[in-house]
Amino acid sequence: MKLLISLLLFLNIAAATSAQTLSTVNYGSISGAVGNSQGSVSIDYFHLWKPGASKKIEIGFGARFTSYFGNSQYYSSAPASLANDVTNTDSILLVSPQVNALNLAVNLGYRLFPKIGLGFNIDALGFTLGSTKDGTYLNGTQGGSTSAKPTSFNVLLVGNNDRGTLNSEFYARYFFTEKFALKVAYQYVFTEYTTDTKIQQTPEANDRFRNKASLFSLGITKQL
Amino acid sequence: MKKIIFGVLTVLVLCCGPEDATPTTPINDTFDPTMATLLRQGNLMGSSSYTVGGVAQLYDDTGKLVLLLDNFSSSNGPDLRVYLSTTTGNTSFVNLGKLKSTTGKQSYEIPAGTDLTEFKFVLIWCQQFSVLFGKSETN
Repeated sequence: MKLLISLLLFLNIAAATSAQTLSTVNYGSISGAVGNSQGSVSIDYFHLWKPGASKKIEIGFGARFTSYFGNSQYYSSAPASLANDVTNTDSILLVSPQVNALNLAVNLGYRLFPKIGLGFNIDALGFTLGSTKDGTYLNGTQGGSTSAKPTSFNVLLVGNNDRGTLNSEFYARYFFTEKFALKVAYQYVFTEYTTDTKIQQTPEANDRFRNKASLFSLGITKQL
Repeated sequence: MKKIIFGVLTVLVLCCGPEDATPTTPINDTFDPTMATLLRQGNLMGSSSYTVGGVAQLYDDTGKLVLLLDNFSSSNGPDLRVYLSTTTGNTSFVNLGKLKSTTGKQSYEIPAGTDLTEFKFVLIWCQQFSVLFGKSETN
């Protein structure tokens, strides 16, 4: 959250006072990511400023579309009041979760060498679409059938207070040319489903369940 | 570009391999039904394309509830569980644990307080893919 506020402050100052003195660059990327019986496809666009004389730092914002798909994935209680204590978490098992999210995102990068760049980006705010899925609610030895749909609204907050589907990447880029780069990334994707009823009742009523996916991503970046 | 796409698909296939199946080594649990009281029982049968056989028996073993699967056999599958359920589906169930083996006599402890007249169906259930392998209505 501090990073997000810092970035927004920087962008505000940059846009208001230094637009003509800062060089900018626009990147578009398409990536495919895989993990344990799950994966994602993402398309992003970032507008980055390059402050300083060396112009090695790239900082800015953009948008990212993420389509996540999984095979038999567990989702744990999402609200921070439950997720912060594992003894308070129940779970739902979804056979074929699939969500599509469009989020505003921020990016911080550094051009380590002329051909190699490193960076981090994270979704901050957006919305998610996806169909209702049948699943199984699990509470210790007890369980039952349920159905759930993707949580519609996404927002990055502090710790487990996040809501919805949010993607983030630690990435490295290798520039074949100044225009094209191969992007390799560790992708961390939160996806969230809301059950039709508040199926969890103890220690408090809850209908939100979250999956955290660690994925390996490979993609192509083009300077636009 | 084609090589990159091929690489991504290859990794995807490698990451989505078959899940661990249930052990197939025959077992013979030590539970002795002659020392317990038989409460309910029923014959197990397979569902759709799966073969499941044997007898499901619910015992009171000096205050402890036990499910015995006797002369048991089942088709194999991933993440097979033993459920006590209110129906032949997973609408409401008690999970007794992973199926120990696809063959042999095996016992499962039932949580105290479980109402056996309500949870009267014994299911062999693939939890991962939510598929019924076998069932028995106990009477």
